[in-house]
Parts: sequence; structure tokens; C-alpha cells
Amino acid sequence: MTAGEGVRRRSAAESKRLPSVPPLRGLLPLVLVLAIWELVQREQSPYVPRPSLWVHAVAELWREGVLAPAVVATLKTFALSLTVATVLGAIIGVVVGRSRFVDRLSGPLLDYCRVMPAAAVVPLAVLFAGYTENMKVAVVVFSAIWPILLQVRQSARLLSPDLLGVARSLQLSRLATARKIYFPSLLPAVFLGLRVAAPTVLVIVLLVEITTVVPGVGAQIARAQQNFDTASAYGLVCVVGILALLVNALISLLEGYVLRYRPQRS
Amino acid sequence: MHNLRSVARLRSSWNLPGLCLLVFLGLSWELLVDLNVISYEFLPSPSQVAVAGERLISSGELGRNAAHTLVATLVGWIIAAVVGISVGILLGLSRVAWGFSVATIEVLRALPAIAFVPVAILVFGFSLEMELIVVVFVSQWPILINTIEGVRSVTPAHQDVARIMRLGRLEHIRKIVLPSAAPHVIVGLQLGLALALALAIVAEMLGNPAGIGYALSTQQLALQPENMFAYVVVTGLLGLVLNAGFLRLAALLFPALTALPEERV
Repeated sequence: MTAGEGVRRRSAAESKRLPSVPPLRGLLPLVLVLAIWELVQREQSPYVPRPSLWVHAVAELWREGVLAPAVVATLKTFALSLTVATVLGAIIGVVVGRSRFVDRLSGPLLDYCRVMPAAAVVPLAVLFAGYTENMKVAVVVFSAIWPILLQVRQSARLLSPDLLGVARSLQLSRLATARKIYFPSLLPAVFLGLRVAAPTVLVIVLLVEITTVVPGVGAQIARAQQNFDTASAYGLVCVVGILALLVNALISLLEGYVLRYRPQRS
Repeated sequence: MHNLRSVARLRSSWNLPGLCLLVFLGLSWELLVDLNVISYEFLPSPSQVAVAGERLISSGELGRNAAHTLVATLVGWIIAAVVGISVGILLGLSRVAWGFSVATIEVLRALPAIAFVPVAILVFGFSLEMELIVVVFVSQWPILINTIEGVRSVTPAHQDVARIMRLGRLEHIRKIVLPSAAPHVIVGLQLGLALALALAIVAEMLGNPAGIGYALSTQQLALQPENMFAYVVVTGLLGLVLNAGFLRLAALLFPALTALPEERV
């Protein structure tokens, strides 16, 4: 496999690039399945209640005033953890990526932590920190920091020496170098990591809520399961799905806005 | 393909400073706990963890649980691979099929996997089926998405070759599409494997009463932190072994891929 082939491969992939927003007709299978489900499932089923019952159950939870606080609690933990993970991950990533020695020193440790499924750490954290908000954030940060850290590390390793030369020629101060050289060149990596991390963060937030019954949507789902309230469980899964889609869209918007100084991504 | 390379690098030389750091951290943890510098009710020292691990191994409990998790992970992952790759090839080749399904895939993929577990428990009960279904449902997405991307990355030149050689449909897939898609598929399989392990553990923690996940949650309730630490260490090792084993296998089967330009971390 020669280098030239690699380049051609990429340009061919570009020329056939898919539209960034998938066509709406692609929702057809999902809509069909739900519609058939609704029509076929006439009697009360304890396992697969029809979709209209999900809506009822969720509306019921909303009226009871349970749903809104749960969603807010989940989103709050989500936003807080993601912010902490991003800042910490980016800082550690730069430090590790810019120093050969630190990079080598921390390699095995980071590799180990990276492959560790975050879920395994949740029971430990519960034991240590108890059922508190801080515990929630700590576990989530631990599990979500890796994609950001690794992307930034990689990007920092490959930082162009020319750019650093420019900083030296212009005799930029440390702060100015960080702001004008490091920040703009590493920001795309941060966002790439963020995209990978965001879904993980949501998953871990929910997992912590489900296992510990810390207030949140996860706790609601766990309660629905324990009460055999299948319709609520399905409905809440949909609520969570909508939250996830919104979060993804928000991150894409933010990325487009923050990285607008860059040429279009290829 | 950074990972394939890093494995090659790892093999070529032992990372002495890195290992020293691990040993140093372990020793200082041991000393801090033994000398009561930090006394946390539930923090065992590494030696206590090792003793607990030894006990769990000799009683066969750890081996049994690890084997269960490993089997569930691998079986789920293989099913996910078969589904993901075949559906991926179909959607990669047919623009119509792609157009009529990709939005559904994106919506389902965005569903946080974990929310799905309680529903799976309600429908399938506390069983191995539940665990496998959760594992397959979640780990197929990266495989599917990457396969579609890979199939679409066939170069026009290669497609011309297929046309000139008058390859049949199956031949076209086997000789042109699959080799071109392989690097993407491998990345997808790697991501899927990590997800499969994670979801197997989550499913065991919440539902299926067997395996490492179940052991973790029972040890937590039993307030046995040294056993929990032992299980957490084993989980990490399992992740490392699966990942390294997969990369080794991929490098063995597709040696050319290790020479690809860096595409992603």
C-alpha cells in the first residue's frame, strides 16, 4: 500500500461524500415499525405496550411534576461533568503530548485507564463517595476524559514545528503562545474528543443514576423497571433519546460556531 | 490506525519509564495506606487487593465470572460483527437503501445504550439473552457505520477495474469492496469490542446475575472493597487483553494495514 494510494483513497471518499444531514425519508422504517406496533398491539401487554401508552405514561409523569426536575438534574450533571472533563482532558493532553518524556512515562497508565470500562468504576465510586452529587461528577469525568485527552495528545504531538518557530521569532510570551498558537491548533481535536465523549457522559450519568438512585432520569427509569411500569420505561427511553439527539445537535452547532475560522472540514 | 502502530511499538521495546511509574504509584499507594497517612474506611492497600484476588482465583469464583463476561462479550460482538458488516455492505452499496434507513439508524444509535437495559430486563427478564441482546444492539453501531463508510471509500479506479473485469456481484464485493473497506471495518470492530465489554458488564450489574458486573455490584453491597478492587483490576486487564488480542489478530490477518497513513486516534 503506497502513500499515493492513500491520498487517492481519501480524495475519492471526498468526492462521494454523503450529505451531512441524512434525508428525512430515512425515518420511514422507524415510523412504520411504531405504527404497526400501535395497530397490532391492541390489548394491554406487560412487555410491549403500544406507543400511545408510552406517551400517556410520560405525560402522567410530567403532570405529577416528577419528570421536569429529573431531566434538569440529569442535564445539570451532564453539563458540569462534560465541562470538567473537557478542560482537564485538554490540559493533561497538551502536557503529555508536548513532552516526549511525560508521554512515554504516562503511556501504560493511560492505556490501562482508557480500556477500563467506565461502568466497572461506578460501584467503587459509590462505595467511596457515597450517593452524592460530587461522586456522580467524579465518576463521569473519569470515564469521559479519555477521548478528549487522547485526541488532544495526538494533536499536540503533531503540532507543526513551524508554528512554534513563528511564536519564537515573534518573541511571544508564554501566555500569548498558548492563546495564539496552541489554542487554535488544538481546538479541533478538543471538539473531536467532545463528540465522542458526550454520548459516553450521558450513558455514565444515567448508569450512576440507575445504580444509585441519585435523582435524575436514570432513577426514574430504574423505578419504572422495578415497578414493572413498562410503558413508562419505554417512554423514558424515548425522552432520553431525544435528550441525546438535542445534545448532539447542540455540540455540532457549537463546533461550527467556534471553529468558523477554519476552512471547511474535509 | 494509530493503535495498530502503538501495539507494534509496544512490542518492539519495553516502556521502562512507564512501567516504573506504575510500580511507583502502586508502592506509594501501599505505603500511604499501611502507614495510615490516608485512612479511608473503604480503601484497601494493593497488597490486600492482591490477597483478595488470590483468594478469588483459588476459589474459582473469579475465573468463572471472568469467563462468563468474556464469553458474553465475544459472542455478542461476533453477532454484532456479522449483522453490522452485512447490513453495512448493503447500505454502502445501495444509495436507495441508505436513503431510506440512515435517519432511523442515526436516531437509534443516539439512544443512550444504558437506558435500554431496564427495558430489556423488563422484556427478557434477568437472563443471558437480555445481556446478549443489549451487547449486540449497542456494539453493532460502530461496526455498521464504519462499514458503510468503508464501502463508500472504494476508489473510482478500483470500480473501473471491476467493470473491466466484468466481475459478478459477489466477486465485486469479495475482491473490490471488502479489501477497500477493511481498514474502516477494523476500526469499527475495535470500537465495537470495547463497547461490547462495557455493555456486558453494565447488563450484568443491572440484570443478568452472573459475571464480573454482577460480582462488582454484590461486592459493593457486601462492603468488600478489596474484592471489588480485584474485580476492577481484572476488568481493566480483560479490556487490555481483548484490545491487544484484536489488534494483534488484525495485524496478523491484514499486515498491509499497519502501513496505512494515520487516520484517527
